[in-house]
Amino acid sequence: MIDLSRPDERDAAAGEYVLGTLDAQDHAAVERAMATDRALQAAVYAWQDRLLALSARADATVPRPQLWQRIDVALNAPAPAVRTEPPRPPWWQRLAPWQGLSAAAAALVLVLSVLLVQRAGVPEGARYLAVLQSPDRQSTGWVVEVQGERLRLTPVGGTAGVPAGKALQFWTKPQGADGPTSLGLVAAGRVSELPVSRLPGIGPQQLFEITLEPEGGSPIGRPTGPILYVGRSVAL
Amino acid sequence: MPTDATPFDYEAAVLACARGERYALRALYEREARWLLGVAMRIVRDRERAEDALHDAFLQIWQRASTYQPALGSARGWLYTIVRHRALKDVRDPGRLQSMDPQELATLSDARQALHDEAGGRGLDLDGLERCLQRLEAPRRACVVHAFVDGLTHEQIAQRLDTPLGTVKAWIRRSLASLKECMS
Repeated sequence: MIDLSRPDERDAAAGEYVLGTLDAQDHAAVERAMATDRALQAAVYAWQDRLLALSARADATVPRPQLWQRIDVALNAPAPAVRTEPPRPPWWQRLAPWQGLSAAAAALVLVLSVLLVQRAGVPEGARYLAVLQSPDRQSTGWVVEVQGERLRLTPVGGTAGVPAGKALQFWTKPQGADGPTSLGLVAAGRVSELPVSRLPGIGPQQLFEITLEPEGGSPIGRPTGPILYVGRSVAL
Repeated sequence: MPTDATPFDYEAAVLACARGERYALRALYEREARWLLGVAMRIVRDRERAEDALHDAFLQIWQRASTYQPALGSARGWLYTIVRHRALKDVRDPGRLQSMDPQELATLSDARQALHDEAGGRGLDLDGLERCLQRLEAPRRACVVHAFVDGLTHEQIAQRLDTPLGTVKAWIRRSLASLKECMS
């Protein structure tokens, strides 16, 4: 039985886990520990990459054409172990999240636009508003206001906490852009402001979203985690 | 979508799977299935069972894509571990475990190996690992290769090399430690 509390044992266990020489009990123990032990997870990933080239010693075998069909059918099967969501295009190509704002959100847009106009007094520069809703449109989480050179992100409604080791990341994608641009991390329940010059552009129908990312933000410059709130700007 | 002209972005494909984008799983399959099936075949030594293993592995890739941590390592390493572990589960299943004929074991290690330039074309960095493997004594190197490529247990390797079980276990541990140091 391996002892994962010993440093020398941990790396050996990670290596043998990847290699496949642990017995069933130890294999399961490493898998369980990895769920919460990031250092062990990192050791396993390092071993995966160290030993990967050994896979070149196996000759290629072309699967029969039916194999993908079987996989495809199983993915669509309503078995509890398998995701049953239909295939989805990238979020910025999907219409659903902003096809129709809920009545509550539409009312909120109206109220906020009035407030914004009142607060602004004399309008200066372009003004836009976006209401960010959960993808199922059941709740509204944030409002984006753009006025002149400032963008203001205001939390509305409940402020759900962010899980440990995670962060909220704010993104935008102007119409026609290839993908979203990060506008940085935002604190739950707090107003954030940034200069519009940070944006790749600003206009109507521009997408804004907040995703759940690893602490420190997405390591690859694109959203990696689930979309928490998403919406599209309207010109005021 | 990546084309042959640009390196395939495994990380992006797995992250797209995590977002529920089915085309990304298909792209991974198109790109890598023949190599993954080859790896599974070496371990289970039966085409039907290898295809079953790859089938299950692709469902796992889809389901677990959100657990992949791009900051920790490559998506390809992650994929191969899922496929190899699924294939190993098959051969380690007590209902299917059979004692292997030493002659059969002997032929396994002599099986033709994929060409280096082929691996190079797939973007696999063989040189680092192979150079470090060559620094191990032949029987120790054989332990690691039999375990990874042929999916053999400690016991099967001991039988294959006609070496005491405890020695095989110690060799594997020390070989891994040497490889890690050599490749760092």
